[in-house]
Parts: sequence; structure tokens; C-alpha cells
Amino acid sequence: MASVTGNMKGFYRQRKTTATKKSSKKSPIHTAIPGSTGIQTPATTANGGKPDLQSECNESEVVLRQFDLNMAYGPCVGIARLARWERAQRLGLNPPQEIEGLLKSGKVQMESLWGGRI
Amino acid sequence: MGIERVQCGYVSLDETFEIRKEKYHGQQYCHIYFARLHLMRTLLYSLVPHWKPNYPVCTVLELEEGKECVIVGTLYKHMKLKPRILDEYSKQKSVVPLVKPHNFMHSDDYLVLEDESGRVKLNGNIIPPSEYVTGIVVALLGKESGAGDFLVQDVLDTGLPPQIEFPLKSGEDKYVVLVSGLSVGSSTSNPLQFQLLIDQITGHLGDEKAQRFASKIVQVVFAGNLVEIPQRILNGQNLASEDFARMSEPIRELDIMLSQIAAGLPLDIMPGPSDPANFSLPQQSLHGCLFPGSSTYNTFRSCTNPHCFELDNVRFLGTSGQNVDDLDKYSDAKDKLEFMERTLRWRHLAPTAPNTLGCFPFTERDPFFLESCPHVYFVGNQDKFETRIVNGSEGQLVRLICVPKFSETGVAVMINLRDLECHALSFTVDL
Repeated sequence: MASVTGNMKGFYRQRKTTATKKSSKKSPIHTAIPGSTGIQTPATTANGGKPDLQSECNESEVVLRQFDLNMAYGPCVGIARLARWERAQRLGLNPPQEIEGLLKSGKVQMESLWGGRI
Repeated sequence: MGIERVQCGYVSLDETFEIRKEKYHGQQYCHIYFARLHLMRTLLYSLVPHWKPNYPVCTVLELEEGKECVIVGTLYKHMKLKPRILDEYSKQKSVVPLVKPHNFMHSDDYLVLEDESGRVKLNGNIIPPSEYVTGIVVALLGKESGAGDFLVQDVLDTGLPPQIEFPLKSGEDKYVVLVSGLSVGSSTSNPLQFQLLIDQITGHLGDEKAQRFASKIVQVVFAGNLVEIPQRILNGQNLASEDFARMSEPIRELDIMLSQIAAGLPLDIMPGPSDPANFSLPQQSLHGCLFPGSSTYNTFRSCTNPHCFELDNVRFLGTSGQNVDDLDKYSDAKDKLEFMERTLRWRHLAPTAPNTLGCFPFTERDPFFLESCPHVYFVGNQDKFETRIVNGSEGQLVRLICVPKFSETGVAVMINLRDLECHALSFTVDL
């Protein structure tokens, strides 16, 4: 929490950094995260593009957020992560096994990225 | 000498319409559209190679100008006259043409096709907006025109679902009676007319020939709008104690009538728009405690709406009319049967749910997706009795029936399970 000074702008910037960092891996993220504000992009680059959110969310949370925002498995609002994974499995969409492992370990957040925010 | 009533095997298939296991925790309707698109698209993708083998299949985002291809997605109909909640809050007065008395169609309506990647406006005479509604999944062949629209050259819908085999003809007549819109407690309902119906089907009327005929009735189904609670009582204020009695009076009266039937033969009741059930589809079965008399019989079954069941391996599917009435508000057809036929061809019982028809926000599935084709498909609470047979491309054969409101027309419908022949049973009590 050291880097989070408590102002909302900093909070949003962090999320944006994650997304841009990982975007080389999966393309749908571009459509999922609209350029939320034009002001924040320069701020990100000024920061050197460094991910400064290790304190707030770890590796697994990053992977899970990628999963949340992947439209192939359907909308993530209003459905728990595990329920969404299981739905994708039932519909034959072959969601990644590692996600299931993470969610069943119980050490991660069970609600989606937007859980409790909308 | 007594005449014995003919028996028949009954299997209830209402499980898909029960919301028992589902929980509401703030989810929105996007899930139901996702489930629908996924189910139907998988199906359409398997049909496309036979339909247009020489064209590529792509998503909306991959469209290129001039490239002929097949796209699959959910239709959305943009309607100028469709009532929107936001209009009531808008500050500026917009010039909106008056709504026609029977539906919300306008000549400026147009269709949009959506998938996860994007949406595109549709053009061309092949796909007239008047026939389609929001929520159907179709495959389209065409190309992107200069203006960024998609020029449709051909349309493929999913077609009739596969059907279980019709049982071999046994040579024995067995009848099912469909009744709808009893509206006990309304001004149009006539207790004598209803009593005549009961006496007829339980075999208390007529000579031995008529009784022998009545003994062949194996099942009665009441398709919605069993009662009508007087509106002036339900004005949002606290009820006086005498109003409580008046409110439950129609149900008590109905219970007395239904127990006469339940004593004689199996009986299914489905809730409808005017019944004391939940508003949104699928409507859950009315609780047995509303019918203390008739629910003591094991022949009495309170079912969901939509309702699906099998009698001697003849599959029935029916609704209390909301799905067809809603299609009538937002699209156009020459008669109600055509709407019914379309829902079968689109393989979806209620495509306008959840857009304009109330619906539970399912997350895992779309209960109105038709996996198999019924032999008899009925819709209650219609204006007049209509019936027709529809044939599918794989030899499916479906009897479509519009069941009229009994309180207004005095007409019930009889179907013969042997050959799906169908006729009206009409009662008049004009003196």
C-alpha cells in the first residue's frame, strides 16, 4: 500500500498499467478497457510503464483479471469468478485450468474485477 | 353400468422452467443473451457448411467492404415507437409519431446484428424488420456496403428442432382438453358456462353416447388466467378485512370448480398474466394452499408457464400466451399461428424476453431455447380458436393451437392423441 497514496487518480492509473502491460498476451483486453481517460495515459508513460501495483494485486490477481475481461467466456458482471469458469466449462469453451486451480485454492478474490463496484 | 375412463401415461418435463436452484444476486440480463448466442451459434455454425459451403464465416469485427461472408449474431430491432423509460425523464419534447393502437411498429424500424465483437446495421429486402424481433439468433450471408452497413443476401434460421418419434398409432381415441382464460371473478365469466364444461368432460351430461365420448378424455389443461382479481381492490392501499375476503373469493370459487374435475380426471393448471403468480417468465406453479379442495387429489397438478409434458409419448408444449402477445406488439404476421410457427423455426419460445417481456435473469442457461420439437404446441388466452399443422424439413410434424379465452368465447379445444386431430368444444348459455 506504500505506493497508493489514497487518491483515486492513482488508483485508476494502476489498473490501467496492468492492462497495458499484459496486452501483448491477449488482445481482447483492448476492447474491454476503453481508453478510460486521456489524462491518465501520459501519467503511465511518465512512470516508465512500470507495474507499481504489486502491493495491491499479485500475479494471480493479474491472471484472474485477464480472465474476467476475456469476452469469450461471457460477461463477468454479477457472477462469481468460479461460477463463470464453471459455466464456460459446461458450455464447452475450455477455460484455462490454471484459473480453476487458483479459484479453488481459496487465496484469491472470488468476485470479479467489478465485484462490489457496480 | 358404469363406463370406465381411459388411462394415459403422464410425464412432466417442467424442470427447465423451474427457478428453484437459481439465485438472484444482482446479475443483469447480459448472461441470458450470452447463453443464447452461444447455444444458437454453435448450432448455426454446424449448419452453415451445408447452407453456403463456399463462403467464409467471420465475426462482425472482421467484416471488410465488399467481401462476401457469413456472419452469425443476435438481432436487435431498433424501434422508434418502442416505449422507453428514459423518455419520461427527457427534458426536451421530441416529436414522436403516435403509436398505433395494436402495436409499436413503424416504417423506419431497422435491424442490427450483434456479437461479442461489435454490431452492424442490416440492409436489404431479404430481411424485413417487420417479421423479426430483438433477441433472435440468425446466420446472414452478405457483404459490407460502402456506408458501413451490411447488405443481406440470404438468411438462415435454426429451423425446427429435432422431434421425438410420434408413437405408433394404437387405434384408440384419447382426448386432451385445453381451456384458457376462465377469468373466474371477472364480469365476462359465466359460472353456468364453466359448470357446463365441467359436466361435459366429467361425463355428467348427455346420453350414453356422450358419456362414452367423455370417458375418452384423459387430461385437462388450463392454460393461464384462471382467475381475475378485481382491480379496484388492488389500489396499493392497505386492505380492509372485508376486502381480503373479496380478493380471495375468485380463487375459492375456482377451487370448488376444479375439485369437481380433479375428482374425475387428471388436471394441469398453468399460471397466466392475471393469476396470483410471479410476473416474469417462467411463471412458477401456483401454490397448492391456494386450492385446499382440489390439491388433495393426486390428479391435480399445478404447473409452470411455459408448461411441457408428455402423454403416451406425445409431447406437449404450451404457454399462457405472453410470448405470442408480445411478438404481436413488436412484429407483424397474418395470424397468431404464424407467430407460433416462427418461434419454432427460431428455436426459441420467447425471443423478446428479456427485452420487452419480463424474464428471470438466468446466468447459466436460456430456458426458452427449444431443444426438441413438441408434437402439440399451444398458446392460451387468444381471441379466437385457430389451428394448423406445421411440417419441418426433417419430417417433424407439429400441431399448432391457439386456445381462445373461455370466458369470452365459451370455446375449449379437444385434441385426439391418436392422430392429433383437433376440434373446438363450444358452450353457449344464451337464454
